[in-house]
Amino acid sequence: MSLNLRSESPTPQRSMVWMDGRLDAETYAQFDEAMRDVTPMVDNGGTLVLDLSGLEYISSAGLRSLAQLRKAMHDRAGRTLLLNPTPQVRKVFEIVKAVPIAEVFADVAELDQYLDLMQKQVTAQQAELPKP
Amino acid sequence: MRLHIRNRLHEVFDALDRADDALDVDSLDPSFRADIRLVLEELMVNTVRHGYPDGREGSIVIHLDISPPRVKVELRDDAMPFDPLSTEAPDLPGDLAWRETVGGLGVHLARSIASDIQYARDGDRNHVTLLFDQSQSEESPA
Repeated sequence: MSLNLRSESPTPQRSMVWMDGRLDAETYAQFDEAMRDVTPMVDNGGTLVLDLSGLEYISSAGLRSLAQLRKAMHDRAGRTLLLNPTPQVRKVFEIVKAVPIAEVFADVAELDQYLDLMQKQVTAQQAELPKP
Repeated sequence: MRLHIRNRLHEVFDALDRADDALDVDSLDPSFRADIRLVLEELMVNTVRHGYPDGREGSIVIHLDISPPRVKVELRDDAMPFDPLSTEAPDLPGDLAWRETVGGLGVHLARSIASDIQYARDGDRNHVTLLFDQSQSEESPA
């Protein structure tokens, strides 16, 4: 079993990617290439959500790919959020301190709550700006 | 179980799949099998990528001794000398995405996950002995 990827970009601000299988030294190049098509779908400042519930395994090669992806999104002023990592993936994240805990969500409800909060903060900041 | 492969990445992954199949027994948890796979992937990929800088063909022998809840794995290769216990643990401040160098992660993972690692240089071969103990790994948080 290798790696299967599915992605949706319902709005320019948000793309979802579902990962299934293994992200390792055998599959990371396939992942990198697929992400090169997905990241431009997210507007600058947008959010990329990786649903990891089907990702049963990650190794250091996969960690490097995720780190590069998160950096690429950050360079576009965007965010990468990780949804529902399996125990193996969570354990590997923890050993190498791969991602800030604040960017990992246990389920869709928790993620939506976070995104709503972010949206409210953006709206509040915009309300505080003087009108041109 | 004994596997003999050449220093090719696809042969490493064939061997990982075969080892994984051999470990597919009722008494071993899938998470424990994933731990073993991870350590073997990291060490063998490292050997294939960095162990033969002159590009020569090399050989890796994997010996698996499965006696639940313990699994012993011996890796022997004819790559240049490399002791996985000799490297310093990578500096891990903050976020992986902002570190320019993310080398050493694989060996660090292998050392963190295996219950025990021994290294010996036997003649012209590296010899790594790994012990995995499911009864120990269950105690650590998943």
